[in-house]
Parts: sequence; structure tokens; C-alpha cells
Amino acid sequence: MLTGRPIPQNLQIAWRYTAPFLFVLAALFLSFALRASFGNPTWFFFPAAVVSATWIGGRVPGWIAVIFSTLVVQYFFVPPIGSLGVNRHDLPYFALFVVCEIFASWLISWRREAEDAIRRARDELEIRVAERTAELKHANDALLSQIEEQRRTEEALQTTRTALARVVRITTIGELTASIAHEVNQPLAAVVANSDACVAWLGLKDPNLSEARAAAERAIQGATRASEVIARIRSLINKAPPERTPTELNAVIQETCALAAGQAARNDVAILTDLAADLPGVVADRIQLQQVLLNLAINGLEAMSGITGRARELTIRSRVQEDSQVCVSVEDTGIGVNTETMARLFEPFFTTRAQGIGMGLPISRSIIEAHGGRLWAESTLGQGTVFRFTLQRVEAGKA
Amino acid sequence: MKEPDPIVFVIDDEALIRDGIGSLIRSIGLRAVTFASPSEFMQSKRTDAPGCLVLDVRMPGQSGLDLQRQLSDAGVHIPIIFITGHADIPMTVRAMKDGAMEFLTKPVRSQDLLDAVQKAIEHDRTLRKQRAELAEIRTRFDLLTPRETDVLTLVVAGLLNKQIADQLGTSELTVKTHRAHVMEKTKADSLAQLVRMAERLKTSLQK
Repeated sequence: MLTGRPIPQNLQIAWRYTAPFLFVLAALFLSFALRASFGNPTWFFFPAAVVSATWIGGRVPGWIAVIFSTLVVQYFFVPPIGSLGVNRHDLPYFALFVVCEIFASWLISWRREAEDAIRRARDELEIRVAERTAELKHANDALLSQIEEQRRTEEALQTTRTALARVVRITTIGELTASIAHEVNQPLAAVVANSDACVAWLGLKDPNLSEARAAAERAIQGATRASEVIARIRSLINKAPPERTPTELNAVIQETCALAAGQAARNDVAILTDLAADLPGVVADRIQLQQVLLNLAINGLEAMSGITGRARELTIRSRVQEDSQVCVSVEDTGIGVNTETMARLFEPFFTTRAQGIGMGLPISRSIIEAHGGRLWAESTLGQGTVFRFTLQRVEAGKA
Repeated sequence: MKEPDPIVFVIDDEALIRDGIGSLIRSIGLRAVTFASPSEFMQSKRTDAPGCLVLDVRMPGQSGLDLQRQLSDAGVHIPIIFITGHADIPMTVRAMKDGAMEFLTKPVRSQDLLDAVQKAIEHDRTLRKQRAELAEIRTRFDLLTPRETDVLTLVVAGLLNKQIADQLGTSELTVKTHRAHVMEKTKADSLAQLVRMAERLKTSLQK
């Protein structure tokens, strides 16, 4: 980059072409001034003028200085003085002078041009560096905004995924409506029957307080149970942001079994659990895990709806694997899944059930993968299907 | 002979409900026995007394409707009051066709349940009485010899002694003797009573 105040282009050119005349005239003046002191012809100022003019102006002003100084020397210093002629005697000396001037001018202009080339190259380089820097900055800005956009998209995706998971959860609950209604109605029926009994015992001519108390206590138990069922459902339906907390997987499995128990009874299926006693905790979103388990359980129950002649059993197991992962399996004794269906099992909107929406398994898989685990299925036609998922265990001492 | 106290059997897999219903029934002075499942009920030793069954329709394993069938196949006659969380029409129709006394939905209104229980016990009493009478008649009629049975059939058909004697190819005196034995063995006070008894036996056999 050019430093200092830039000189206007016109002034610069004028100076370059004026300089040869000024320098030669200065040399002329100095030569006249010093002739009295030396007595010898004092031409040596002229090569200095040529060198300076060439240095300042370049090749063409250099030549101008050479020609002008040659004429001046010829006129004022080479005999016959006062004319442009040259005596034969002085010719070699004068010629040598001219050659020296030409050589000096050529040398300096060559040097100057080389320096100019370097300067131009440097300037050009600087300009290109500036350009590249600007380009890079631009690219960087674009990248940053893309990253920001990506982040926003991911955030939106996360929000959508959470909302979708909730919708699927509610749909899953919807499939359980009949058995949930039963789950709530049973304890309420108990409340009514026992309250009636309590009132009846109190209304006797000789009230039986111990019977009345026993009935009232059963009514309270029933009411408590009804509210527990409702709390379980509500926690599943609630719109809660996903969170990661240390979670006991076995407890989640047992809660899921409680939720699915009604449906299992309706489908005449026995739910068996085989839980590892020393199961380490996992860091997870409890509600989402419950959703995955509930979905797998309902799938299993549905898969056994047409089964006769063998036990209808849904077995949920929890195990610690050697690679320090925790593995949960949900196994049914249903009809099994053929290869084509197996390949599409986790596709969105793929379903084999009339009332299914085909989102349960894809959502379950995305939930497990968001937890850093894996969810997959294995099936034997005519024997049943087992779904397994793994989760990273909480490291010892961090639980 | 004094009739034993009536018993109400309550079968529901839900402990709080069967205890509540049992308590309600005991509060009006009836005996109540509760069971958690139909099989538990079937295995229990039941005393011979009038009573009824309060039965939950939906239970894991054997349902209430299955038990109703099983009892009816086994010739056990006991009025059944069904209670259910939600009753659909086919379920109700099947239960009523198979002789259910009443179909109540949970939560049950206590008065409805107690009324139904009283009615069912009354019904069972009547049925038991009828069954007892019929059994008595049958024992009496079983005492008759084949010849006496022949005479009885013709008497009930409205034939005179002479006509009976003609049909059986015997004397009128012999017919009279047989007829006297029939009246004695069946403890019939009159011809009309004998005819009624014979008719009841016939209808019960036709059933």
C-alpha cells in the first residue's frame, strides 16, 4: 500500500519531465561556478544530473537529460566554445563523456525499472491480499450466518420433534383410552361402594363404627389410587421440555407396566418382567423413555391379539452389557414380522395396524438415538418379535 | 324345618370393590362372602342356602359371563347380578338370555344393588321351594310300580275306572286297588291335586 500523501498524477508527470532540465541547468551553474577554482573542464556534474534525472523520472526523462546535457556541454565547454561543433582533438574525450552518460542513464533506468517492477508487484500483491482478505471475510460472514441459520433450524427441528413426540404420546394414550377409563373407574367404583357402606353402617340404629371406619379407609385408598392413575396419565400428556436427569430404568419399566396393565388384561396377555437387580442408572428424559417403553409394549400386545394355542406373554428385561451399556428388551410371543415389514419397520407413517399412525417406532428410535443409544428389532415369524434398546449407563460415582 | 340364612357371594378381582360391596351387603344384615376370582368361588365349599351372586363381568382370566355359562352347565342354579364398568349391548343381551337377574354399571348405586340382591334372594327362595316341591313329588312318584304308573297315566288323562280296566285288560276292582295305592303313595288328597302334581312333573321333565 502506498504510504504518505498521494501526489496527483499530472503533477507527478510534470515533475518527471521538468527534472532533467532543472538538474542539467543546476550542473551547468555549478560547473561555471567552480571553473574558476579548478581550471580543468568540470563536466563531472553532468553525469550526476543525468543519474538524478533518470532516478527520478525513469528512462525517457533520462534520455532527455543525456541529450540536453550533451548539447549544453558541447556548447559551453567543448572547443570551439559557444558553438555545437567539436574539434577533432577533443572528439574522443567528448565521445567518452557521452558514452559514460548513456551508460549511467541506462544503468540507473534499468535499476529503477527493476525497483518499479518490484514495487508494482508488491502493490499488486497487497491489493490481491486485500481482495482475498475481503473475500475471506465475506465467506466467513456467510458461513457464520449459515451456522446461525443451521442452529435456528436445528432448534426449530428440536421443537417440532418434541411436539411430535408429544402428539404420538397422546395418540398412544388414546389407544389406551378404554383401559385407562377402566383404570380410573375401578377405584371410583370402590370409592362409591365403600362410601355407601360407610353411610349404611353409620345409619344403623346401633351404628357400627369399626365397620364404618374400615369402609371409609377403603374409600380413601380407592380415591388415592384414582388420583395416582390420573397423575400418571397427566405426566405423559403434559407439555414438558425434554430434560436429562439421572433415571432408574427399572422404575420406568414398572410404571410402564402399570399403564399397560389394563390393556394387557383386555388382550388377555400376561406382562412379565425380568429386571437386573444391580442396574446402573441412566441420564435420560423419564417421560420420553416411558413413551418408548409404552409404545413397544402396546406394539407387543397388538402383535399377540390373534394368537391362540400358546401363551400370550410380553416380557420386559433389563440387563447390563459388557460394554457398560444398559440394554432393555421388550419381547412378545406374537405373529412375528416378515423381512419386508422388518425393513420398513422404522419408516415414518408405516403401519400394519388399522388405527395406528405409524409414528410410534420412528419417534421411539429418534428418542433413543437422541439419548446416545440404539433401538432395533429382531423377529422370528410365528414365534414373536423382540425390540431392544441400549442406553449409556451413568459412570460409577456420577449417579 | 328352619330355612338357613341367605348368603350373597361377591366376586370381583378388585379387592377394594368386593370389600366395599361385601360391607354394604353386611350392613343390611345379610351374610356376604367375597372371592377374588371365579375359580376361587368354584373351589369354595358352599352351604345349601338361598342366595345370589354379585359378579364382575370383566376379570383377568375367566370372565363373569364365562362363569355364568359354567354354572349353568354344571346345573348350579343361583341368581346372578352382574356389575360392569361399561356394558355393551351384546354383552347385556347374552347375560340376560342366560338368565341374569340384573345388569348394573359401576359405580353401582347402593340402593339399586341392595334392591337387586333382595329381589334375587327372594327369587332364589321361590326357585328353591319349587325345586324342593318338585323333588318331593318325584320321590313320591318314584315309589309307584309300573302297573300303578300305567293306571296313573290313564287316570290323569281323564278316563273312568271302567275304561282303564278295558284298556289294561283287567277288572275294574283291580284298577280301583291300584288307584288307591297311587293316591296313598303320592299323598294326593284329591284327584285334582294328583293331576296338578302329575302335570308339574311332566312340565319339569319336558324342560
